[in-house]
Amino acid sequence: MNISEPLQIAIEEFSKFPGIGKKTAQRLSLFLLKKPIDEVEKFIGAIYNLKHKLKFCSVCFNITEFEICEICTSPKRDKSILCIVEEPSDIIAIERTNEYNGVYHVLSGVLSPLSGIGPEALKINELLKRLKTQEVSEIILALNPDTEGDATSLYLGKLLQPLNIKVTRIARGLPIGGDLEFADEATIARAVSNRGLL
Amino acid sequence: MVLQSLQLKNYRIHSNSLLTFSDGINFIVGENGQGKTTILEAIYSLCTTKNFKASSDQELLQFSTAECEVTGTFQEYTSDIVRIYYSSTETKRSFLVNGKLIYRPSEVIGKFPIVLLTPEDHQLTQGAPADRRKFVDAILSQSNPLYMETLLDYSKTLKHRSFLLNRMKEDFRSVSPDELEAWNTKMVTAGSSLITYRKKFLTLFNTYLAQAYSAILNDEELPLIEYQTTIANGETGLEEKFSEQLAKRKDEEIRRGTNLVGPHRDDFIFSINGKALKIFGSQGQHKTFQVALRFAQFFYMKDILGRTPIFLLDDAFGELDAKRAAHISNYIRNVGQAFITATDLANLSSFLRSENDKVIEVSSGQVAYA
Repeated sequence: MNISEPLQIAIEEFSKFPGIGKKTAQRLSLFLLKKPIDEVEKFIGAIYNLKHKLKFCSVCFNITEFEICEICTSPKRDKSILCIVEEPSDIIAIERTNEYNGVYHVLSGVLSPLSGIGPEALKINELLKRLKTQEVSEIILALNPDTEGDATSLYLGKLLQPLNIKVTRIARGLPIGGDLEFADEATIARAVSNRGLL
Repeated sequence: MVLQSLQLKNYRIHSNSLLTFSDGINFIVGENGQGKTTILEAIYSLCTTKNFKASSDQELLQFSTAECEVTGTFQEYTSDIVRIYYSSTETKRSFLVNGKLIYRPSEVIGKFPIVLLTPEDHQLTQGAPADRRKFVDAILSQSNPLYMETLLDYSKTLKHRSFLLNRMKEDFRSVSPDELEAWNTKMVTAGSSLITYRKKFLTLFNTYLAQAYSAILNDEELPLIEYQTTIANGETGLEEKFSEQLAKRKDEEIRRGTNLVGPHRDDFIFSINGKALKIFGSQGQHKTFQVALRFAQFFYMKDILGRTPIFLLDDAFGELDAKRAAHISNYIRNVGQAFITATDLANLSSFLRSENDKVIEVSSGQVAYA
């Protein structure tokens, strides 16, 4: 194959992205090549700032420009309710609902012995330390409803038990606005077996 | 559900075979190695996305060709065209239903129900517990999506947990007791739910089995499947008993670095008139039991799914005595569409032919209608 080296390198770099194969990487590289230089420089700047301006909040490990993130410093947030999530992207998802007014704690992963991730690799010690200084009345576990997320929730539940704090777990079931007939069978079956009293 | 036609291109010995089928019984006749079972294999793949014989798709390719293709037209309320395409240059297999690419086998599970009876079924009654678990798990997964989900969840938990146990085997203090406890709870919840599903399934399935068995043998023999679990029996407190077992065998589990308790080590005990088949069964009883299991599977799935599966019988009549063969031949008329392979039409003499049947002769991958 005779592809000029800079293009080759760009394709290689793009194909490292999640969900991006060789062909899409090539499309993206050629797309950038056709763009005016100032637009490409804006894009480079955006990527540069991503790494240089952003860091993790020292309290909750959310992504932020500051030492402590805007959610943790906001006086409007209820500091007595703590929602535990897997990744900062989960915060974005919950924030979009405008329903939750408490604060967060990002674990930066879930237990997964197969990938060598134990409790010490997660921000669990940081959570325990935080609970010593911060008065919390409820902890909401909002981890993904998969095997690893379940095990992590169970682990945290046990760990937090002696602290005498109410620990809850987000419900799983049918999506709102979705027709029952379009939900997958396992979700419907789970929703039926976890049905609630009217 | 009926398979109306099937086209095989470069699929094993078939260069290009186009077959049309009867909605009754289709006899596929030919000498060994001529491509009879290949036709069943193709039908099985169309219904399940999986191969029952080939371990890799590459095996399916005809010698010196680069791609193979199977297309089938199913008819029930609507007509569905299912196509499998394999290319060795891309080493990729595509599975399409009505031209739409299917990414996960679970998307089609239960859509094209199928029951397969093969000579390898002797494993069901004579083989290891794993063979019997596979039989039950496959039926339950097809008829209950929540069972399938729980089964996947449980096997994933087992993998994580055995990794954890192995780490404890090397260095006991490298894993906190709380971490193991979390995986134990996960295992107990999912595992107990599997056990409950399996027991409930057996209660119902046993009636199907008894019916099928008596139709084949017409005798005073009553078959039964009993669930044998590593967790002590009893209806109440299954989860507590599971946890107790885990606590009791903790040291042994760590020493051996494996999951020793749970439904993944359970077995299904087959018996006739209260006598264990594996120990006391004659050859004839084994064979009858195997055939009855498949018929029971057929009628169970038909009732649960509300659609009629396709029945494949690969070389099923070779080892049967005349009496059983005659009963099965009669019984199979209740099934709907079936595909039966045999080396010689004489082996199928027990069948009373119906106008609707079709005899397909296969020779070196060439198809002819008799």
